[in-house]
Amino acid sequence: MNISVNQTQGRVPVAVLSVQGDLDASNYQELIAKARELYNMGMHQILLDLSGASFVSSSGLVAIHSIALLLHGEQPPDLEQGWSAIHAVGRGLVAGPQQHLKLLNPQPKVDRTLEKAGLKEFFEIHADLATAIASF
Amino acid sequence: MALKADRDAIDDMIQAVDESATNIIVHGYRGRTGHIEIEVTREGYVLVVRLRDQAPLFDPTRAPPPDLTLPLERRRLGGLGIHLTRQFTDSMAYRTTSEGGNELALRKKVKREGNK
Repeated sequence: MNISVNQTQGRVPVAVLSVQGDLDASNYQELIAKARELYNMGMHQILLDLSGASFVSSSGLVAIHSIALLLHGEQPPDLEQGWSAIHAVGRGLVAGPQQHLKLLNPQPKVDRTLEKAGLKEFFEIHADLATAIASF
Repeated sequence: MALKADRDAIDDMIQAVDESATNIIVHGYRGRTGHIEIEVTREGYVLVVRLRDQAPLFDPTRAPPPDLTLPLERRRLGGLGIHLTRQFTDSMAYRTTSEGGNELALRKKVKREGNK
């Protein structure tokens, strides 16, 4: 997996976090770490560009959920503590679609994974970059 | 020998095997070194993948499904691996092996036409 970041300005600053390749148990922590780095730099709106993500496993979904927590001002789980710590987290997000984390253009296979995990309803999913940036 | 399965069936099985193998590594072996044997076969128009390991016995088919009706703010983080395995296969069956290990058999129907 490769991660790239492009910071852009809509009504508010938005970091576009692009994922290329497979997002799975071997690398999902890298994505959380990158989002944490952006958050600590003051970037509190993230557009996760999934157009280049060929595969997202349940670990990748943990990364997406963790980033939503992070942008809501929650501390994501301490990944050094393993999955028991990860499973203990999961409260504190506001109800409804997330306002600080939105998704861009997941491939059909990834979109299906989001749907089967019951996560699609919690995220705005955009097909177009400009529209996505303007939505923040 | 080519197993001849359609792309959708293969993609779904890859997702299911990834989830199952990850669970064995993370929750079974808990980061310790261990073996996973993966056998891929076809039984008629069904693609079958069997994963065998020597981690402590665990039957994932008995794991309760996650409550997907909960809003995100009340959901547990993670815990979707077995759920996705169920979702992406037509059946999953568990047995203990004669060596005292785990065997999980995943089955996915393949399309009768256009097997490539």
